[in-house]
Amino acid sequence: MGDANRYPELRKRLTPGWWTANRHYAMYMVREWTSLFVALYSLIFIYGLSLWAAGSRADFLNFLKNPAIVGFSLVALVFTMYHAATWFYLLGAISPVKIGRSKTKPWQALVLNLVLLVIISYVAIWLLVLR
Amino acid sequence: MSQDIATIRVTRYRPEKDSKPYFQEYKVPYRHDMVVLDALNYIKAEMDGSLTYRWSCRMGVCGSCGANIDGEPKLTCASFLHDFKGRTITVEPMSNFPVIKDLVVDMEDFMEKLVKIKPWIIREKETPPEQGEYKQSAQELERYSQFSSCINCMLCYAACPIYGLNEKFLGPAATALAYRYIEDSRDQGKDVRFPIVHEMEGVWECTLVGECSVVCPKGVDPMLAIQKTKILGATNALRSLLMPRGGHK
Repeated sequence: MGDANRYPELRKRLTPGWWTANRHYAMYMVREWTSLFVALYSLIFIYGLSLWAAGSRADFLNFLKNPAIVGFSLVALVFTMYHAATWFYLLGAISPVKIGRSKTKPWQALVLNLVLLVIISYVAIWLLVLR
Repeated sequence: MSQDIATIRVTRYRPEKDSKPYFQEYKVPYRHDMVVLDALNYIKAEMDGSLTYRWSCRMGVCGSCGANIDGEPKLTCASFLHDFKGRTITVEPMSNFPVIKDLVVDMEDFMEKLVKIKPWIIREKETPPEQGEYKQSAQELERYSQFSSCINCMLCYAACPIYGLNEKFLGPAATALAYRYIEDSRDQGKDVRFPIVHEMEGVWECTLVGECSVVCPKGVDPMLAIQKTKILGATNALRSLLMPRGGHK
């Protein structure tokens, strides 16, 4: 750094509100925050499973039917879908599949992954609850 | 040709005199074809010769004139004054770098990173020139060509909050260039570059903010290069694990 070391260093540092500077930063932060809801839902679900392990399937289902849990689950579902959609889109942007001479577009990966998500979720719900 | 007046607020900081930076305002007459860099040149030539900033080519090739214009990292030579009509234009030095004077930042850290990733073609054994050039198909060129358009303007570093938090992070442009050589069919230096890009402060620091790719004035997508480097590293590690002998390629 040479001579610059003789003077106090001036460097514009990040402030706690850096992510409000533009829309891209804000959307990034929303994406990161949504993972908190994913984590919280996972904890709730693990607790529910522990009820099933310790007692019966009815305890597990009753716990999930609690209005507060249902309400939180709906909020968590919205955020989880947003979180998943952003990653599915990025997946398509990072690893496009070559078909002949053209490459797949990110939105195609998004749609395909969302369809797979719905199918896998339905199978999981069927195995756990509906069966 | 008609002239308008642009109001420009420029960061002034002379470390030998000022304890902290301040804004100085200038009124600059401009024509429709003038950019922010033209305004800075006008200020320096006609109003205040002490204003200090970097510039060279005036056409988005040299990458020297980057600054934060209204908070966004941009090339001053590629930002038209008429786009800011009716507003005060704020010109600050690029974020995340130490400021030497006014708009001039210390590039040392980036220069070290640039050299660190070995931005040249590495061959296990050089063939003599009389044996001809190393040939490459159009498809092989396409795999890395966008990443070779980087002009080292460092706008991506100014836009990257990860670099803002941790200056040890290898960062967008250096990784994009590393990936450019990793993907080059003529290069045989993967074993040398992989440990550099995959160290703790290498690609794995990136959390996909993506602003580097948004601000790049040359259409390079450093975020993509970083993620592709992650995928290459992960598949390489898996291959080494499953096939310890000869799996590493």
